[in-house]
Amino acid sequence: MAASSPRARAGRAQQVAWVVAALAALLYPIPFERSGYIYYETVGFLVLLNAMLGIGWNIIGGWAGQFDFGPNIFFATGAYTAALLSIHFGWNAWLGLLGAVVVSVAICAAVTYPITRLRGHYFAIATVAMWMIAQPIGATWELINGSRGLFIPVAPGKHLAQGMLTMEFSGRGKGLGFYYLALFIFVLTLLGARAVERSKWGFYFRAVRDDQDGAEGIGIDSRLYKVIARCLMAAVFAAGGVLYGFWALAVLPDQVLEVNWNILPMMAAVVGGLGRLWGPVLGSVILIPISQLMTATLGAGPLAGRGIDLIIYGAIIMIIAGGRPNGLLSLPWARWAGRLAGRRRAEPAQG
Amino acid sequence: MTPLLQVTSCTKRFGGLVANHDVSLTIESREIVGLIGPNGAGKTTLFNCISGALHPDGGRIVLNGVDISRARPERVCRLGIARTWQVVRSFGRMTALENVICGALRRTSRMGPARARALELLAFTGLAGKEDVMAAGLTLADKKRLEITRALATAPQLLLLDEAMSGLTPMETAAAVELVRRIHDELGLAICVVEHVMEVVMPLSHRVIVLDHGEKLTEGPPVDVARDERVITAYLGDRYRARS
Repeated sequence: MAASSPRARAGRAQQVAWVVAALAALLYPIPFERSGYIYYETVGFLVLLNAMLGIGWNIIGGWAGQFDFGPNIFFATGAYTAALLSIHFGWNAWLGLLGAVVVSVAICAAVTYPITRLRGHYFAIATVAMWMIAQPIGATWELINGSRGLFIPVAPGKHLAQGMLTMEFSGRGKGLGFYYLALFIFVLTLLGARAVERSKWGFYFRAVRDDQDGAEGIGIDSRLYKVIARCLMAAVFAAGGVLYGFWALAVLPDQVLEVNWNILPMMAAVVGGLGRLWGPVLGSVILIPISQLMTATLGAGPLAGRGIDLIIYGAIIMIIAGGRPNGLLSLPWARWAGRLAGRRRAEPAQG
Repeated sequence: MTPLLQVTSCTKRFGGLVANHDVSLTIESREIVGLIGPNGAGKTTLFNCISGALHPDGGRIVLNGVDISRARPERVCRLGIARTWQVVRSFGRMTALENVICGALRRTSRMGPARARALELLAFTGLAGKEDVMAAGLTLADKKRLEITRALATAPQLLLLDEAMSGLTPMETAAAVELVRRIHDELGLAICVVEHVMEVVMPLSHRVIVLDHGEKLTEGPPVDVARDERVITAYLGDRYRARS
């Protein structure tokens, strides 16, 4: 035991980090719930929501290597589908979520297949075009009430557990409820993405990213796997859109097609580590509180509404791009953790 | 017996340039065929037509009785042809093992067997010990070897090697020739080797096909082809023929 290898020590450090992270995620809202600063529960909710979207975006952007600049059309599709199902058919939020995922994936498959002939920048441009087309549709289509949007009727749940089953909460329980809802869906997304990463799909996505011709030469249908990767992303964004819709109790085109739902998940992935499972999670934990706290603290001051958070984002991106283009997770954390754990174990022996 | 691969009057044009004109050839199973010719003779174009990266403008390419003239590369691979490229196309940000697993997944969807098969093949091609190295970090010789391993993992009947030995040192070249021989002897594949270095192809091939200016110049056993006046002319020009 005493002569454990740095690798084993790093492994143990990783286990400790896991437990700490899981406990922190579970207990995070408790102090705010008790002290009444429930705004911070919302910050936590947004961190988890963006982390989950980032994981979804990482599938197409990080693994399959196709930069999608318009993922929020599936966020919007998900939100609208669940809202329509709730308003017209009285579907429960979770059933609505399933419906939203199915609809978004179907639409994604249909609109993505034609553009998979495009490579690199051209694929990215096509995704931007889709987003730009989606905006006027969202603002004018009568079925979804145009720019007036849809309002989701809710019957407030009586207590937390019941609220979790319907995504409906009353009064102060809402912050806590949505935090745990987001945590639940986030964990599902993370586990799902981890399973995909280790499966045939995960290998094929990365093969297409690294060399499309090489991939086709060993029998990989690159167009099919680009579609699959984008559909997985669409499923995650649809689930995120439903969560957001029931949180906001309304689906408004300028909110769900907001450019930040494109930029933040992507930035989270890039800052944390593109193509790494935990990259977008780390990125969200860093980026989202910055924007939220900026808005909260400068909200009434002289700098209000000046986009200070965007300036800070820009600075972060410049630092990362210049110093660590592969993201923060590419730093030698395992070695540092191993060294740290080793030092700590060595201390009692010396004394 | 029908041949494994039958190319009948394959023609491929790029605008005004005729890269392949009326090229016919056959490859039998368990045969090593050398495809040679000076630079620009159309060797790689023919490879691209066979492997589905390009589609011929005329002629037919038939593998095991199936017409693959218009098939996309992934289908050609599924039907039993694997290839390597003149410029290496390894998956740089994946490890050597992961590269080969991608190939092995062609034959099984389950990760366990794919991984076992990949490890086996990496040992066979002499890449044991480098499984966890990122492909981008391998030497050129190892990258080419990795590409052959990845191609083998798809369990092909015919392996197309596009200049698998160019850019290697003499020792690495000898090792690569040895590997091709072992693939033929131990795995029983048909292999088609494109090279413009005669010294590599001649001792290795059972039969040599010579392309020049997009047309088939001649074919036959290596000894005969090496003595062929037309081949010498194609490679060295008229001046040298006169002197010999």
